[in-house]
Amino acid sequence: MCNEDIKFQELGQVLSNECIAPNVYVMEITAPRICEAARPGQFVHVKVADNPVQLLRMPFGVYDCNPQIGSIEICFQVLGEGTRQLSTLSIGERVDVLGPIGNGWSMPQGTGHALIISGGLGAAPMNLLARELCARGCTVDIVMGGPSSERLVCRERLAKSALASGGKLLVSTDDGSEGLHGFCTQISDELLRQEGQDYDYICVCGPGPMERNAVRLPLELGIYTEASFEKLMACGIGACLSCIVETVDGRKRCCVDGPVFDVAKVVW
Amino acid sequence: MAPVKPKLQVDLGGLIMANPVTTASGTFAAGREYADFYDLKTLGAVTTKGVSRDPWAGNDSPRIAETPSGMLNSIGLQNPGVEAFCAGPLKWLAEQDVPVIVNVSGHSLEEYAAVIERLEDEPAVRAYEVNISCPNVDAGGMTFGTDPAQAAQVTRLCRAATKRPLIVKLTPNVTDVTLIAQHVADAGADALSLINTLLGMAVDARTRRPKLARVVGGLSGPAVKPVALRMVWQVHQAVEVPILGMGGIMTAEDAIEFMLCGATAVAAGTVNFVNPHAGQELVRGIEQYCIDNGVADVNELVGALQA
Repeated sequence: MCNEDIKFQELGQVLSNECIAPNVYVMEITAPRICEAARPGQFVHVKVADNPVQLLRMPFGVYDCNPQIGSIEICFQVLGEGTRQLSTLSIGERVDVLGPIGNGWSMPQGTGHALIISGGLGAAPMNLLARELCARGCTVDIVMGGPSSERLVCRERLAKSALASGGKLLVSTDDGSEGLHGFCTQISDELLRQEGQDYDYICVCGPGPMERNAVRLPLELGIYTEASFEKLMACGIGACLSCIVETVDGRKRCCVDGPVFDVAKVVW
Repeated sequence: MAPVKPKLQVDLGGLIMANPVTTASGTFAAGREYADFYDLKTLGAVTTKGVSRDPWAGNDSPRIAETPSGMLNSIGLQNPGVEAFCAGPLKWLAEQDVPVIVNVSGHSLEEYAAVIERLEDEPAVRAYEVNISCPNVDAGGMTFGTDPAQAAQVTRLCRAATKRPLIVKLTPNVTDVTLIAQHVADAGADALSLINTLLGMAVDARTRRPKLARVVGGLSGPAVKPVALRMVWQVHQAVEVPILGMGGIMTAEDAIEFMLCGATAVAAGTVNFVNPHAGQELVRGIEQYCIDNGVADVNELVGALQA
């Protein structure tokens, strides 16, 4: 059934909208009720207020919450007209935010050593996860991949959690400008093949092909692994059935049955 | 002195609604997802997503594409089948104290009748909306709605299966909608819903691929409103039965326009995806329009277009 958590629709104000890499922005928006309720891995469904041409909302994982201010942060890449308009918003302009939506990362009790694998903007929804796992006393290793050094976005906050937890952050780039010249899944596979590795929880978020590659070895090794999915969606609240994910239990709604799924249940 | 509250109650072919606003099938599931945002009792009625006799898995994804002032969908009537619908979503909706219109779908004539027969046992169901206009399924769906004789045949069969108000939902993908409307009305429909989505396509020039897995889908949203208004107006002039008007309604003003063209009631569709509070806002907005314009009874607006 649908997620029983309450969702809010808030007309937020842009507090900052910063270009952090080519075509990639971090926007901070006032949304006190969503900020208070959001858990790691949940998302918000965002619309530029009063836009009659781009009707549909856009889903973004919650990158950060700032309870003192009552604001949330999202990280987005300019891909189409909707995100282009979002990128042009100035401080004080309005954004219509619906959320928090979805199940989020399950973070099983007793997790001792977690591995986080992110590709591109898949790093954003990992921030709250890494911080929470660290706060629970879990060691967190993070593997990040991106097109280039400057597009390893959201890295500072993730690195902070990894180091604070006693873990490490490793990176790869497609162009070899930093870290391994290749895919992040090469690094994660190597970590998982090391003798004595003791990972008991793996979290994956990134483009579809990257997720498929990242979960292959964890599935073989039988380590409990979750992946966050991104699908085209209209309502974002479980009504329209646009965002289906194929699972062994049938078609699920990415928005409210996910966006985080047990990878052993997904039909890859 | 406070203004006198306008009368908002309407009679849609025997279905008494406390106000003219319902939801367009497929945009509101069976209401539960929207109960986070407002009390469903606010609505004149809830129209559910299409229900078939057997479970339908729906189409492959991508199932939607955004287009200027609208969207295409090809969900394909994914639903758990009438038995699971009654045990789950309908059971919940029955407790919400709002009239329920169930949208009835089928691949064959027998299937439509079977769904209605099962739903006759459910007291919460107050009316049926027979879907002969879904553009996203291969068999049944729109094929029944584009042929006057077949449309009449489905209507007669459903009519025979129930005494409850029978609404038939028409497709705009025809040359002359009044011809279909006339046949369906003559076959015993109590009301007509229009319009369903317009068949359309979206293409990615870069990849040279269609944006929908099924290639074609149904266009909805404000982009279709002028077509919908025109069809409501034409049908209102051609047939006697009341009309449930829909197609791109975003604001109360849009809803009023549909009523002026001849709609007795209106449905909020795509707007539910954009603004989950839309249904409630439409009800309030229509009431405010009546107060502001000295309309004592919302029924005064029906067909009042000064053409």
